[in-house]
Amino acid sequence: MKSRKLLAATAVAMASTLALSACGGGGDSGSEDGSVSMTFWHNSTTGDGKAYWEDTVAAFEEANPGVTIEIQAIQNEDMDGKLQTALNSGDAPDIFMARGGGKLADVVEAGQAKDLTDLIDPAVKEAVGGSLSAMTVDDKVYGVPVSILPGGLFYSADLFEAAGVTENPATIPDLEAANEKLRASGVAPIALGAKDAWPAAHWYYFFALRYCSQDTMNEAASTRTFDAPCWTEAGEALADFAATEPFNEGFLTTSAQQGAGSSAGLLANHQAAMELMGAWDPGVIASLTPDGQPLPDLQWFPFPEVEDGEGEPGAMMGGVDGYSCSADAPDECADFLNFALSKESQEAYADAFQTLPASSEAQGVVTDPALVSILEAYNEAPYVSVWLDTLYGQNIGNALNTAVVNLLAGQGSPEDIVQAVNDAAAKE
Amino acid sequence: MSVSQGETSPSTTTPEDRAGGGAGAVQPPPAAAARAHRPRRGRWGQRAEIAVLAGPALVVFLTFVIVPVVMAAYYGFFKWKGFGPPTEFVGFDNYLIIFRDPEFLAALGHNAFIVIMSLVLQGPVAVVVALMLNRRIRGRSVIRVLVFVPYVVSEVIVGTGFSLMLATTGAVNDLLDKIGLGFLSVDWLADPDVAIWTLLLIITWKYIGFAVILFLAGLQGIPDELGEAAAIDGASYWTTQRYVTLPLLGPTVRIWAFLSIIGSLQLFDLVYIIWGQYVASTAGTSTMATYMVANGRNAGNYGYGSAVAVVLFLISLAVALVYQRYVLRRDTEGAITEGKK
Repeated sequence: MKSRKLLAATAVAMASTLALSACGGGGDSGSEDGSVSMTFWHNSTTGDGKAYWEDTVAAFEEANPGVTIEIQAIQNEDMDGKLQTALNSGDAPDIFMARGGGKLADVVEAGQAKDLTDLIDPAVKEAVGGSLSAMTVDDKVYGVPVSILPGGLFYSADLFEAAGVTENPATIPDLEAANEKLRASGVAPIALGAKDAWPAAHWYYFFALRYCSQDTMNEAASTRTFDAPCWTEAGEALADFAATEPFNEGFLTTSAQQGAGSSAGLLANHQAAMELMGAWDPGVIASLTPDGQPLPDLQWFPFPEVEDGEGEPGAMMGGVDGYSCSADAPDECADFLNFALSKESQEAYADAFQTLPASSEAQGVVTDPALVSILEAYNEAPYVSVWLDTLYGQNIGNALNTAVVNLLAGQGSPEDIVQAVNDAAAKE
Repeated sequence: MSVSQGETSPSTTTPEDRAGGGAGAVQPPPAAAARAHRPRRGRWGQRAEIAVLAGPALVVFLTFVIVPVVMAAYYGFFKWKGFGPPTEFVGFDNYLIIFRDPEFLAALGHNAFIVIMSLVLQGPVAVVVALMLNRRIRGRSVIRVLVFVPYVVSEVIVGTGFSLMLATTGAVNDLLDKIGLGFLSVDWLADPDVAIWTLLLIITWKYIGFAVILFLAGLQGIPDELGEAAAIDGASYWTTQRYVTLPLLGPTVRIWAFLSIIGSLQLFDLVYIIWGQYVASTAGTSTMATYMVANGRNAGNYGYGSAVAVVLFLISLAVALVYQRYVLRRDTEGAITEGKK
């Protein structure tokens, strides 16, 4: 079948070695004349995002003579693996992307991240407010968020109107009723990219957010078990909801963001009315519309409430994109983060990425109606939990992904989700 | 071409045995006549020559294959997140978890099924196609190219193409609907009863070209005189194929089967591309390699993933050794010098 495998593997291994050795970490080469050079890894390989970072770095270098920053744009999917290799080889980038939670905690535990508690400006801490907690491990700050990405239901106002759905669903029964009307109007009620698994898992996360109290969710981060009854209740609620067949046909083989047939593509082309996603979705949908422009009728409403849950109504879930400094980075790394979090820089970021900036000072530039709705809900939320896979780390997130897909495919039970998490904890 | 242990033409050099032979690693006893015009070198001269010629390849092989295998075996005894040096030694715990995990056992079962069905589906068809292409028929080269092209196309391209065509709302089901065969449209990829057969069809389509090319090469090595002799003895075409050609094709088929088995055991890319990272276990098409990636790298459990890699390696190695010992022995007799195994 594959006689070329070994050759190919060897070639790949050699090529990647060359590639790896080519991305020199540089490190803190503080030379005698006080000049400092740093490396900076981010994940915007194209378009406005890439340009934004180039401009920001250029502006920072101009304001800080003697400091040079070498930029490496790395594909989002390759980021984790490359970062891990770089951190282990002692050749880490000085400034790297981090999304907080369990994954950042692993990096911190290995002594690979720099403590920035005293290096980040108080004004910056003030401006980013509560979202800093995602980048905080054991009360020490290890990074700053550049954008907040709360999740909720994005929907097409035109399709809602055509189906006669006049009010945003506030409860799960409302949502089920809306689904009925939408299906009758000939579109898929909810698009779901279950092939990538994490969008499916998000449905479970949000039901858990409604059924579990904040304390229960935070406790599970340390106990690594889902023994509290609310976890099973959340699974049962999801199973009941899935039984009403709310998702697009073939959701198990639908990807999240690739092409017109993906869940974001279904929304962009008015084939489906809703999608449960984080605040990055408007940008993704815009790239998949027929004309490549933002979907004009895209709106947003928060995940519906349930009747008998322990979660506080209005609670939200989301993630942050942020940046950390590696343990050996010079202090100028923190200066750069402070610079990137300035009002002007954050406003430019919000424009470039069509998303919500982490700095509250810069949030005035958000005009996209869906994003404005998110901001309103976000600023009123009693608390904002990070995505559960971020909170509990990759391992449990991974087990949840599989278990939820199984449940939605009709091959698993709510109890299996709890069991999967408990089993996964044994592997770490 | 082949990466199996270099079999060379055995001392009983019959042409058909040359098919499937790899690049000779060990010199067969030289026929003196053939070598008479070259000066004899001393044993050390020979050794130096081997060292110079094989040295770079050996260094690369050691660095990128053997060392990582040893490292994986080492990491497999740890619980390790991949940051910093592994510290939490757990002995054989990872292995205990692996063999108790129903998901892994299911993946192992899928692998076994794919191994067997690949042989059953590809072998006979490939032999028939090779026999057909071995005769002078019209459009032979076109057919040859058509059969071989899928093997050349990258797995990622094949996977992406098929996942788009076979999606629930994809082109295939759409076509079936349009030509009035809507009742035939099923969930090719998501229905657990169908998915594994879909995978087998794709594998067959993709890899049969390799088998056909190998068999054709084997057929080229069969002397025409044998066929002519059989014809003079009054054998029909089919009798000749059955009693002369097929037995002589044996060594080639056995080598192909070996490569196919190893490939099936390590199947990863097609499944990963078509079913994504997680749906494979739901659809019943997961393999040991996809399990390894899902529960190792994607879960950030590098220690556990390494242990799975070791299990996969040992299973492949055991199968390979048993196969070599009991199936390939006849073909490699004389090629492996006594006492140097």
